[in-house]
Amino acid sequence: MKMVIGGAFQGKHSYAERTFGITEGWADGMNCSLEDIFTCSGMKHFHEYVKLLVREKKDYQEFVKELFRRNPEICIVCNEIGYGVVPMDKFDREYREAVGRICEQLASGSDQVHRVMCGIGTVIKGGDGRC
Amino acid sequence: MMHVITGGSGSGKSRFAEQQILDLGPARRIYIATMHPYDEESFARIRRHRAMRAEKEFDTRECYTGLKELEIPSGANVLLECMSNLTANEMFEEQGAGENTVEEILQGIHHLRQQAANVVVVTNEICSDGIEYDPVTVQYQKYLGQINQAMAAMADRVTEVVYGIPLDLKGGAVG
Repeated sequence: MKMVIGGAFQGKHSYAERTFGITEGWADGMNCSLEDIFTCSGMKHFHEYVKLLVREKKDYQEFVKELFRRNPEICIVCNEIGYGVVPMDKFDREYREAVGRICEQLASGSDQVHRVMCGIGTVIKGGDGRC
Repeated sequence: MMHVITGGSGSGKSRFAEQQILDLGPARRIYIATMHPYDEESFARIRRHRAMRAEKEFDTRECYTGLKELEIPSGANVLLECMSNLTANEMFEEQGAGENTVEEILQGIHHLRQQAANVVVVTNEICSDGIEYDPVTVQYQKYLGQINQAMAAMADRVTEVVYGIPLDLKGGAVG
């Protein structure tokens, strides 16, 4: 498993395409099905899918386990959303927390984690720090 | 030794911070809890953290304001969590330091370092969402930013934790 994380609009998806050579087979967290996630090569807007899980009050531990089992080679592209003031809205707080907890577990099982800013990646796990 | 650990929300800072204290060996472990529980959500958060600390042999001291008055056993290894809560308490609670928040908290950190063998402080990055908040919240961001900078300047080691992955900002890996 590989992860590409960073703030919004940093060029994470094209970085992932370029770096890992994944030009097709992308699922989009905005509108993909659960089955798409288990069969795709890469998934962008992962945080949007987490939002859906939280909204539908799904057990995300189960989702994480299933993801490692069924698509262990997936490249996940996800926004980092935890760098602000604690949101006033309860749903926003739960969503922010869920993205953190899920990504912590996924990062722990990933071979590589790249963090992208301005289109430039830093390998924060599984590399020599440059890319 | 002083180690400041920062990161976003839900980044795995706490788990990493607890491990730093465990790695320091068997000296007495003190956990300074700063979150003032006021609703079910905060109690649930505290329960989650307590469960994580169970069997790690921490003595918990609650300190919502007035860190500079806190006495702890000398030579202990101390984990303070979290500076973002302590700052909010000092700013907004009745007995808090108000506009003297930054100075009071930094004096508290000095006092803690005089007593403890090692101090690990968990703080929080809350200034990178690009949202313009009301003036009171902006003041809070500013105070916490100032405290973080001052703590980082005095610390031997500063680490940002990103989804459980530690990134060295100062000092480098020693443990």
